[in-house]
Amino acid sequence: MQHRREIAIAATIVALGIVVAFVAPAFFTLANLRDVFMADVPVLVAALGMTLIILTAQIDISIGSQFAICGVAAGLVAKSGLSLPVVILAVLLIGAALGAINGALVAWIRIPSIVVTLATMVALRDALRWVTEGAWVQDLPRNFQWFGLTLGAFEVVTVGIAAGLFAGASWALRNAAMARTIYAVGSNEGAARLMGIDAAFVTFCVFTVAGALTGFAATLNSARFNQIPSNTGLGMELKVIAAVVVGGASIRGGRGTVVGTLFGVILLGAIGPALTFVGVSAYWEKAIQGAIILTAVAAEAWPARIRKSGGRLGHSPA
Amino acid sequence: MVTVQLERMEHRVSSNHSEWVLSFALLAEILVFSAIADNFLTRGNFVEIARTSIETGLLALALTPVIVSGGIDLSVGSMMGLAAVVFGAAWQDWHAPLIVSAALALLAGFLGGALNAVLIARFRIPALIVTLGTYSLFRGIAEGITHGAVNYSGFPKAWLSLGQGYLGDIIPAQLPIFLIVLIGYTVLLHRSTIGRAVYAIGFSADGARYAGIPVAKRVGLIYLLSGLVSSLAALIYVAHLGQAKSDAGTGYELDAITAVVLGGTSVFGGRGGIGGTLLGLLSLAVLQNGLHLAALPSELTGVLTGTFLLVTIGIDAMRARPRRKTEVEEETPMRNSQLAILCGVILAGALIVAGTNAWLVRSLRPADDATRVAVDAHKRPVIAMMPKAKGDPYFVSCRRGAEEAARELGVDLVWDGPTGLDAAKQNEIVESWITRQVDVIAVSVENQAGISTVLRKARQHGIRVVTWDADAAPDARDFFVNQATAQGIGETLTDEAARLLNGSGEFAIVTGALSAANQNEWIKFIRQRIEHEHPLLKLDTIRPSDDDRDKAFVETQTIVKAFPGVKLVMAISAPAVPGAAEAIRQMGRKDLDLIGLSLPNICKPYIHSGVVQEIVLWNTTDLGYLTVYAGSLLSENKVASGAKSIQAGRLGTLEVRGSDIILGTPLIINRDNVERFDF
Repeated sequence: MQHRREIAIAATIVALGIVVAFVAPAFFTLANLRDVFMADVPVLVAALGMTLIILTAQIDISIGSQFAICGVAAGLVAKSGLSLPVVILAVLLIGAALGAINGALVAWIRIPSIVVTLATMVALRDALRWVTEGAWVQDLPRNFQWFGLTLGAFEVVTVGIAAGLFAGASWALRNAAMARTIYAVGSNEGAARLMGIDAAFVTFCVFTVAGALTGFAATLNSARFNQIPSNTGLGMELKVIAAVVVGGASIRGGRGTVVGTLFGVILLGAIGPALTFVGVSAYWEKAIQGAIILTAVAAEAWPARIRKSGGRLGHSPA
Repeated sequence: MVTVQLERMEHRVSSNHSEWVLSFALLAEILVFSAIADNFLTRGNFVEIARTSIETGLLALALTPVIVSGGIDLSVGSMMGLAAVVFGAAWQDWHAPLIVSAALALLAGFLGGALNAVLIARFRIPALIVTLGTYSLFRGIAEGITHGAVNYSGFPKAWLSLGQGYLGDIIPAQLPIFLIVLIGYTVLLHRSTIGRAVYAIGFSADGARYAGIPVAKRVGLIYLLSGLVSSLAALIYVAHLGQAKSDAGTGYELDAITAVVLGGTSVFGGRGGIGGTLLGLLSLAVLQNGLHLAALPSELTGVLTGTFLLVTIGIDAMRARPRRKTEVEEETPMRNSQLAILCGVILAGALIVAGTNAWLVRSLRPADDATRVAVDAHKRPVIAMMPKAKGDPYFVSCRRGAEEAARELGVDLVWDGPTGLDAAKQNEIVESWITRQVDVIAVSVENQAGISTVLRKARQHGIRVVTWDADAAPDARDFFVNQATAQGIGETLTDEAARLLNGSGEFAIVTGALSAANQNEWIKFIRQRIEHEHPLLKLDTIRPSDDDRDKAFVETQTIVKAFPGVKLVMAISAPAVPGAAEAIRQMGRKDLDLIGLSLPNICKPYIHSGVVQEIVLWNTTDLGYLTVYAGSLLSENKVASGAKSIQAGRLGTLEVRGSDIILGTPLIINRDNVERFDF
């Protein structure tokens, strides 16, 4: 079966959904589902970028710090009086630049991505703390929150853009030659190079695009509020990586889909609110989340092991 | 030709050029810091460096074979939290003897390691995913058992001396344990067939299998050990800080991984070793310690660590690159040594640049540098002041007042602290201030049991100690600047909730982190007050915001819908109030009341628009101001322990109750008075 993990996660979502439907039907009101989904839109946008990175057999643990910097940057640029499209463009560029730094170090200096992004994660986070000293960006222009639209219109726009990005990524990863090179590089970099693919350039581009997506996610998130804290995105990298790998992308690259990522984001994003509705005490929530992640991936690994035991070699360390 | 290639292979395995690079870097660090930091090159300081890096060090040792095998273990820090809680619960709740409690904690580590081992080695799920899951699971179980709040303390002296005492007055008591584990891991990884197997697996798991290595067993073993050693680290952590709480070891996995990777162990597996890890660990510890001693902001740690990682690993990667393209015919023996020199020069250069930048920052920082030189003759007193968390808006506003007082009084203010809530970091910083010999230490205490020992030590060294915001043990400090008691806050909040709800109704609390000590104290008093005074109030749920505005937003949305009876939300963490307010505003629920504890500036828009009825707080700027004043008076011996009042500049005369300097009663800030406050 080609999309075993995607199916396993979808099944987990459905199973949990049935349980919640019986115990706390109030979870399935339109208003609640909308709120749960809206909270996950920025995560989804960032997770699209992470999917590309993981497909290339790389990883980026600095996106939480990028997210925080882009959020603060969005506020500062908006306060300088520039118009909204310019603000969005500027933040996209800043995000892309941060991603490009990671990408260049990974692609051409050939430092492992986890080392590069570990370094940029702590360096960017602490640099932001140093500069802002914890101060929030306040007194934003009136047309910043909800992009100057009404709340309803803003939500439609946000979901529309996210859906567009999702559909675009989904289509491109199946059909566009340029995006297919990501799978090629992720599956076997050496073979990709022999095919005439500039593997280093692909890696660089993937990190840059992911940075821009993170910047965009930060813009969407900031625009939901009227002030911007400087410590956002703490632990976001874990949330996003968990969503992507739970959604079936192989950490060793070359395997995974954005549909899986969508399922992963939905599963991890809905667990928290669902547990509240079911009436589980907040104190046990983290443990249950961990258990659900482990069960979801172990359930998929179980049949694989029985079927392939003896046939497959080696273990899967990372 | 074959032999040449074999030699090259052997060369690649055994020689670690990054260790050379790192040694140079470490040397450069030591040179720079002995030039710019006070009392850096003292025996006492090196003892402290050793002591503070032992917990991370143990984790780094455990992670080295894991990473050499091409895997990763993100769950080590969470395992520390779980083992600490098991230890504390066994000793205090089940009244087990200390040895049995310690054994149970180690058993927890063993079982946790076994879970990782089974899922990774037997089920062959990628280690990153498994340990990402157990990262949540272990911490979650610890929080679940203790409800995040229970803080086991009061361990016997004999146990504490394991983490705080000295052998022969010099060697930290926990160092021998670390050395035993170090030797154990060195033998395992570098002197045993198991170690060779781990390297082989890291190179190629398939190849190792063909060579007859029992891959699953070997991989399982190192994860098992990793869990076990993490629980050992937890035991030392508990002895070191005197407390066992579910947040023990938060974020330690990152420090440990950084040390291992910096030490030249390749994340692709098959390359690296214990020696490198030790060097990596040392250079990180020296960097942090040196920055504290040089009174440079601790944010520089992250910036420099990042740069450091990129430069060392980058040089290593650049050096390795030519080999990838085409097999170079014959490498002249000269090349490696040339490269080593080159690396050293580049690194030394980088560090000198960093060092001079640090100088520059340092000299630019106080605007009144000229006056400082002038009065240096009678040495200005140095007041070192520590918040619980540096970036928190609450403490940022305290700092403004502190700086104002420092300017008025002509004292030097050192403001530093952990970047997030971290009891161990607080101890570390106080230690470095003792080494620096500052005149006054003022601490907002995160963990009473843990920091009191260090503060007593500071007093023995003749340093005057003030606590502010949250107190330490009374004998560990001269005065406590008391802004409002936990009881006062809890009762005021409950009374206000009762008033808004007309005495009866359901409400919900959005707190900070579930394990935050302050908030848990308040909640305790809120519950008591409900029981005694407002029996018709009903607390439906307590949800965490982790001091994250966005999380508070989502939690409030969920609470309001999941508990339709809730008529009032009480948000008791500074960023949680605006988060909850925005949620209520977007839902258009005008019937819902919102009160809490936060800063006026970030709540102003919501107070004006009527979403937030009121917030309870004291004047944080005044709190910082008063603390520095009290510290300065103490250092000049202008206030004695029996004093009934003190004169604090613009605040006038303030009452002293026992050894508590009272700032005043909590303010209730609402639409009428919010514009009067700017903090």
